Amino acid sequence: MQTAEFLIELGRYYLYAGGIVTALFLVIGIDRIEPSANGSYAFRPLLIPGICLIWPLVLYRWAVLERTKGHKP
Amino acid sequence: MSVQYTPVLWNRNKLVYDAVLLIAVALYLYVFIRYAPAFEDVTKPIDGATLRMRAFGSCAFLMLTVILCIGPLARLDRRFLPLLYNRRHFGVLTAGIAAVHANYVLGWYYNFSPTDKYVALLSSNTSYGQILGFPFEALGIGALLILFVLAATSHDFWLSFLGAPLWKALHMSIYIAYAFVVLHVALGALQGPGDPILTSLVTASVVLVCGLHFATGRMEAARERGEATAKASLQNAGWVVAGEVDEIDEDCAKVVTLDDDERVAIFKYDGKLSAITNACAHQNGPLGEGKVLWGCITCPWHGYQYNLADGRAPEPFTEKISTYRLKLIGSTVLLDPKALPPGTHVEPVRLGEGA
Ligand code: HEM
Ligand code: FES
Repeated sequence: MQTAEFLIELGRYYLYAGGIVTALFLVIGIDRIEPSANGSYAFRPLLIPGICLIWPLVLYRWAVLERTKGHKP
Repeated sequence: MSVQYTPVLWNRNKLVYDAVLLIAVALYLYVFIRYAPAFEDVTKPIDGATLRMRAFGSCAFLMLTVILCIGPLARLDRRFLPLLYNRRHFGVLTAGIAAVHANYVLGWYYNFSPTDKYVALLSSNTSYGQILGFPFEALGIGALLILFVLAATSHDFWLSFLGAPLWKALHMSIYIAYAFVVLHVALGALQGPGDPILTSLVTASVVLVCGLHFATGRMEAARERGEATAKASLQNAGWVVAGEVDEIDEDCAKVVTLDDDERVAIFKYDGKLSAITNACAHQNGPLGEGKVLWGCITCPWHGYQYNLADGRAPEPFTEKISTYRLKLIGSTVLLDPKALPPGTHVEPVRLGEGA
């Protein structure tokens, strides 16, 4: 029982963190690192579940793309 | 990149595909719920919620099987390719159907327990050390989580944002999900009173998925060996590797410099490849930088034109340039460096015929 409750708490906080990352990414990140998203807004809500689920990967790619942005023409 | 993301791009094929998919799923669920009770042990009739739980569970399992078969089938036979294009809708629907299955489990098995139903689900059985009576639900949860992640990252945005290698690696976990589901059923439902239909269904699915992957693996290995020998024998005969087809843009040329400083322009146009000398017969203008129009190349310097297939200027002109022979092995372009006499017709290499 202890472990089960702990796992579910863990999942809950993981998703809370995902919610924060989602907000940051959709408001700030996406326009900075994905030029083809500029001006399209309708598809953004579709990304919410994905970002909530794999937000550590999103942060990682965001960081990588920010770093390499200057190098690309 | 110039694409703009829109929520969904619809066209007729996709609509037909989705309609067929939805009808097939609805039909399966209907037939299962209507007729499965007839096969049940009459002494232990099952209730509606359990029946629906089984209908959705087995439907998701079958859909996952089909999804995993589409890839190898399309590689074995191009006629299956149309099935490949909309696999993402198939995947998203599968995740949805599996979620309904899990929801029935939660709602039925754990509705009357005083604890939170998610806690109850996770803690009702924790004997992870044993095979018989293994908490197979955990395997179902694992599979469902993977299906959710894959469904949520199926939009094109994710492919471009994560980059193809990472995206592909992520989506390879569909195989983990499948293994989890097979174990989920093998250690769960199949441990109960014998159900020959479910047993044979699961066996058939595993045999089919493994068999198809094995067959395509062997076929591709054989093809790669064949391509390697073909390439080696051409190179022995003096041919040179000119590069990959993808390097050449449509209606453009790749210019290859041969050992004797002779330059050859390899053109891609109308789904074909042709090679001519890069030097124009007029004043050696760089033909490889010219424009292709109706199978003719126009020299960028003074506008002389030549047919790409035979190096001859269109009537009434009489200029001729050398042509070269090409071969496509897999996706590699090979060039015979021996120039043919000016004006020799060479059948262009056709692309996309698995030459
Ligand atoms: C949270 C996730 C899941 C839970 C809690 C869960 C739970 C269960 C339970 C309790 C059963 C009944 C076993 C029995 O009759 O002894 C079952 C059966 C089954 N589950 Fe799941 N499951 C989950 C996810 C999945 C997924 C993702 C799939 C397939 C993609 C799946 C496919 C099946 C199948 C095919 C059966 C057998 C149905 C039958 O008896 O005809 N399950 N599951
Ligand atoms: S050099 Fe090609 S037209 Fe003059």
